[in-house]
Amino acid sequence: MLNYIWAGLIIISLIFAVTQDITDLVQDPYQNGKEHSIEVIFPENGDPDKRQNVRFRIKGHEGTFEAAWRPYEDNPEMIISVDEDMPELWLDIARDQDSPTEEELLAEVVAFDRATRQAEIVLPEVYYVKLNAIATAAFNMAEFAVTLAIGLVGIMALWLGLMKIAEKSGLMYLLVKAVQPFMRFLFPNVPRGHAAHGVISLNMAANMLGLGNAATPLGIKAMEELQKLNPSKNRASNAQCMLLTVNTASIQLLPPATLVALIGTGVNELMISILIVTFISLLVGITAAKIYERFHPEDEHDENIPEDQKRED
Amino acid sequence: MRTIASFILPLIIVLIPLYGLIKKVHVYEVFVDGAKEGFHIAVRIIPYLVAILFAIGMFRESGAMEFFMMALAPVLGFLGFPVELVPMAIFRPLTGSGSVGVLAEMIATYGEDALVVKMAATMFGSTETTFYVIAVYFGAISIRQVKYSVQTGLIADLAGIITSVIVVRILFG
Repeated sequence: MLNYIWAGLIIISLIFAVTQDITDLVQDPYQNGKEHSIEVIFPENGDPDKRQNVRFRIKGHEGTFEAAWRPYEDNPEMIISVDEDMPELWLDIARDQDSPTEEELLAEVVAFDRATRQAEIVLPEVYYVKLNAIATAAFNMAEFAVTLAIGLVGIMALWLGLMKIAEKSGLMYLLVKAVQPFMRFLFPNVPRGHAAHGVISLNMAANMLGLGNAATPLGIKAMEELQKLNPSKNRASNAQCMLLTVNTASIQLLPPATLVALIGTGVNELMISILIVTFISLLVGITAAKIYERFHPEDEHDENIPEDQKRED
Repeated sequence: MRTIASFILPLIIVLIPLYGLIKKVHVYEVFVDGAKEGFHIAVRIIPYLVAILFAIGMFRESGAMEFFMMALAPVLGFLGFPVELVPMAIFRPLTGSGSVGVLAEMIATYGEDALVVKMAATMFGSTETTFYVIAVYFGAISIRQVKYSVQTGLIADLAGIITSVIVVRILFG
């Protein structure tokens, strides 16, 4: 399933990007190569053969805008500072051009009349916006994934350290005994008194209280405990699937901090609806996992895994 | 409730070493021993997270979302599901930051008190970013075959999405 969803996301992205870009090629929304008439306003005694900052007026549009004038042997160039009062088309080009900055437009002056200071300029051509956008997104997100993972190091270490103390001191055992009945229902294959029960209950508690920072490391620790009981090394066990389902449905007594930040005090009103919904989705998730469990008997040995996927990490 | 939540974290962090100390555990040594795994786990997650996030990033940028909204509009309208919620419903299981963006945009467009915003906020508050959870939790223990967990996660999400609309309509509608 994950294979199909994953490949599906990538393929759908490509199809939509290509479709959009072909539509753009046909409809030419950026009017690539079009000559725009402007009037260049040089500073007093300004010599068009020298580099200088100028202003200019776009024909048929209000206001004057800033640019740097760059005379070259063949055609001069203008580095235009993008201004939000510019025509819509110019802003679109600035936003979607293949350039590291959206603040500047590099225009080529194809005709310039020294007497009247009238000029014809060509703006950068814009092609394949969506294809470039999805490629950029792929690279950016890959980088972001690493930032996200590395950001976990500290909190992970903190909670793993604390959990180790809890284990060694027997505190975990007390907790395990307390939550046993409920955990035996959700995770029947985990032996009585196993540390996994304790960590899972902590993970759930953290989720309920909206403590995302604690929930993730505790969930990972719980997964590790369940992995010790998993006969197969790279195939999830039923218990692990249940833990994951419980975490994605995540019953929440307190709304997550992001939501509070977004809607402020209005969140109090939503507490009841969130509580009801999260409870129902948790129930549905657990039921679904229980049903799936019946059709997926626990792996006995590693042999159940096809040869080509049997490699160890 | 919020007060309890603010107390509970520091309390746990203090209580665990304290209990260890009483039980004569070498708390510092044991802590460091446990903590050193943190780095390895985080690094182990990276390939899984990269795989999931880059695919979702591409999907987000491709403009496919707008198409789905248009395609689904008549069906959903018939079922009484507000079309404005489609981006939230699709993005919520995929990306946490993406769905925050969707919600912020909805608040800006419709105002805090709009019914659809309440529905979207309930959806956001009551479900998790399923694919992120899968990448992180299973990545940490190097599990690649996730069995039916995607299905059950998404079923739970779907239940959350549908009940959000119903519950908010009953409570505030």
